[in-house]
Formats: sequence, structure tokens, C-alpha cells
Amino acid sequence: MSDANIELGDIHWLMDILQNIDVGLVVLDRQYDIQLWNGFMESHSGLSPQVARGENLFSLFPEIPQDWFTKKAEPVFELKTRTFTIWEQRPYLFRFKNYRPITGRASVMYQNTSIIPLQSIDRQVNHICLIVYDVTDIAVSRADAETALQSLTERNRTDLLTGLLNRPYWLQEATREYARCQRSVHPSTLVLFEIDDFRQINVLHGHPAGDHLLKTLADGLLQTLRRTDQVCRYDGETFAALLVDTDEEEAGVFAQRIHELSSVVNQSGLPAGVSCTLSLGIARFQQDFSDSAAWIQAAETALMQARQEGGNRICIHQP
Amino acid sequence: MNTQTQPVVDLNEDQRDCYQELTNVAMGQAADRLARLLDAYVVLPIPKVNLIEANDLRMAIQEVEDESAMSAVCQGFIGSGIAGEALLLFNDTSFHDLSTLMNYPGELDRFAEMELLMDVSSLLIGACIQGIGEQLEIHFNQGHPVILGQHCKVEDLLKPGNHQWTKTLAIEIHYTLEHVNIDCDLLLLFTEDSVIKLNDKINYLLD
Repeated sequence: MSDANIELGDIHWLMDILQNIDVGLVVLDRQYDIQLWNGFMESHSGLSPQVARGENLFSLFPEIPQDWFTKKAEPVFELKTRTFTIWEQRPYLFRFKNYRPITGRASVMYQNTSIIPLQSIDRQVNHICLIVYDVTDIAVSRADAETALQSLTERNRTDLLTGLLNRPYWLQEATREYARCQRSVHPSTLVLFEIDDFRQINVLHGHPAGDHLLKTLADGLLQTLRRTDQVCRYDGETFAALLVDTDEEEAGVFAQRIHELSSVVNQSGLPAGVSCTLSLGIARFQQDFSDSAAWIQAAETALMQARQEGGNRICIHQP
Repeated sequence: MNTQTQPVVDLNEDQRDCYQELTNVAMGQAADRLARLLDAYVVLPIPKVNLIEANDLRMAIQEVEDESAMSAVCQGFIGSGIAGEALLLFNDTSFHDLSTLMNYPGELDRFAEMELLMDVSSLLIGACIQGIGEQLEIHFNQGHPVILGQHCKVEDLLKPGNHQWTKTLAIEIHYTLEHVNIDCDLLLLFTEDSVIKLNDKINYLLD
């Protein structure tokens, strides 16, 4: 590192490299006064080395918290060791604006920095060098990846036609809730419901009319749900709701609200001649259900009973 | 990439002693510096020098995942063609004690914990690597630290076949501080080809 064989002429091009390298280099003395300010720093801050040199870092850049920065820098002076800051802990040290109008998608430059000790001839560290790396692209790609992952996760659990949860995800939730109920004194309730004579609607008015009905009903549902209610499109025209911490009575109120939804749906511009009524089956959690499938089966039995009694009604599973 | 046979990593007793001695000296220097900065007595451990397999590493990382998501920091280093990565595992460390020690005022939220991890790991890893480098006359450059669980998914590190090596040199240092609840392991892992170069340097010292 400390090559004694660098000649004066060489210093000229070494300085050229310092000026042109695409990382920020700042040399600070013991008082945090700026001693060196390279081309990168000049370009992004708009301050020439003549202006920056001799100025105090903290008065020139009030956005750098002095306490925080000296905590990182003092060990470099004291222990001659390197310290680092990364954009995850503080997005930037110097507030440099985005400088690429086309490909730059962040408003500021994200920065990683290294602080390294500079030893003088007597092996004392009276200066430190601050190296500033532009990591905006990394930060932006990380954010992109997270957004993509989130939307994938969302998509993975959604029924595309209705926007409700899909069956596989809901079944997972039901299994989890079954396990929770076994340990809890607040039991939950399942409600299964379906549109009466849906096949008839499909046959008489075509699938687009059926789809429109499903979607209108789902939209109404989404407006009626509480935050903790988990509703999925269970199968074709059948829906399933998992009502957490809800007893039979409260579930009855919920079921009543859903039952009444059909009249709202009927007034919402369905194709002429199409009307819908709903049948619902309610099953409260019972300790003697052997698994979540048994619980769902109980709700299905209640639903089947509602259907057999002519539809357009609510039935409760009798253990 | 060529498909040459992997370098065979080997370690004899003399070499092991030499690595241990080297680390001891480095630790001594590091402990001295830390004691001055933190005003706390660092209990000096006897470092363990071993050849470890990728599986052992996975087990160490697994513990991180089991315990909590935010308690391990990795930092790469390289100098004179010798490269490796340091892994600092905080086992039974109280962030509260750590913050008192490092003189951090204020509430300990997720960000404050990250700051602490970053600062403490800079000190512990930096001091040790520097100490070893000085004795071997290698100037090690360090990359930016990575917090496991936050920056990279621990489960990704755990997948078998993700590590390109089978057996390599590991130096393990167990740090404890007196009177405070701080207990951590520093693991220095060298790449396979670095071990051969390092062994050459060590042999030179042994001669």
C-alpha cells in the first residue's frame, strides 16, 4: 500500500484516477474538516473541492447526524479499524438527488459507506477516508423483488374471478383455525353457502350471466365482511366463510346479512330474468371433530339440509 | 467454469497450532482495543481451529434461524488472493446490555438493534481480521456487512448444494464480556483455495 517508489509524475495520474473513479472519496481530519473531496463528491453535491476543503463536514451537510456519524468514525481513529454503514440502516449519508431522469427510479441516491483509517508516517491516525458507494440500483431492485413477491403471494391466494380467497389457501387457514380452536375457549364458526339453482342460470342465460352474478355477490360480500372473516370461493357457486372467535348466534347474524345480500344483488342490474337466492349451512367448532375436514363436512351437511328443504334458507349443524 | 478437481484442504498439527497462536495474538490485540473503547474486560478465549464441512456451517446457521431472525452478521474479506467470510453469531446476548455498553441512548427498536449489530460486528470482526492480517503481512479489504435474516434469507443459505465447497478451514472464537450479558461466536471461514495459500504462509513461519 505505502509504496515509496511512486514518483512525482505518477502522482499526477493517481490524482486523475481519484478524480474520475465512480465512488465518493472524502478525507477528514480529527475535527471532521474536509481535506479531500473527489470528482464524484463534487459532481453530486455541486460543491467544488475549493469550496469543500477546510469546511466542517457537519456544518456543510447538516443532514448527517453528528452523534451517529462520530460513533462510526471515532473507532476508526482510536482503533485503526474500519467501520461501515449500509443503506438498510440509513439510506444515505449525503443527500444526493437522483441524477438519471430516465432510468433512475428513486428520489435519492442510496449509499453504503466505508470509513477507513489513514496512517501518517509516524503510524498515527490523524485522518480518515470516507468511501461512498452508490447502491441505488441494488436498493431499487430489492424493493422491486419485494413488491413482486408480495403480489405473487396475493395472487396465489386469490380466486381470480371473484377476488375472494381461493380454496387451497382457505383450507390452510381452516386447518390452522381448527388447531387454534382446540386450545382456545373462543370457538369459531364455519358458514358454507351457495346460490340456489345456479346451474339453471348458466343454462338459461349463459356463463357470462353466471359469472356476473358470482362477481356481484362477491363484491357485496367483500363490503359486508369484518377484517377477521376469511371468505373463499369454495367450489363453483359455493362459498365458505371462516368466522374467527364467533359463536353460533353471531354467525347467525352474519348468515342473515349474507342471506339478505341476495336482494341487494338482485337489484344491481343483473340480466333480465336472472335472480338469486342463497342457502346457507352453519357449523360451530366442536371438540369432537377429528380434523378440519370433519368440521367442513358438518357445514356441508347443514348446507345440504337447507338445499333439501327447498333452498333460500339457513340451517345450523346439530351435533 | 472449469471442472478441475477440487483442491484438497489439509491441516496438520503444527499448522493447527500455528493458526491458533496467530489468532491468539490477534485476539489479544483486539481485546486490548475493545477494552479501551468499551471500558469492559473481554474474556480471552482459546480459539478453535478446525476443518469444517458445509453441513457444520448449515447447522450453525440453523441455530440463528431457530433463535431469532436478527442475530448474525456476515462480512467478507480479501487480501493477497486470500479470501474468506466472517460470521458473527450472537448467542445469548442482551441487546439492552449491548446498548449500555456501546453508549446508545434511546429506545431499542428494530433499527436501533440493527445499528448495534452493525457497530459491534464492525469492531469485533475488524479487530480480529486486522490482527491476523498484520502478522501474515496481508492487507485485508472488507466488504460491507450483511445481516442474516434481514438481508438474505436464512433458509436460502440452508439449502443443501448452495455452498460450492465441501471442507474448509474455520477459526472459531468465543467472545464473552465480563459483568454483562454478552456472548457471541466469531467464525472465520476461508475459501478452499485460500487455505492452500494460507498454509504456504504458515509453513514459511514454521520453517
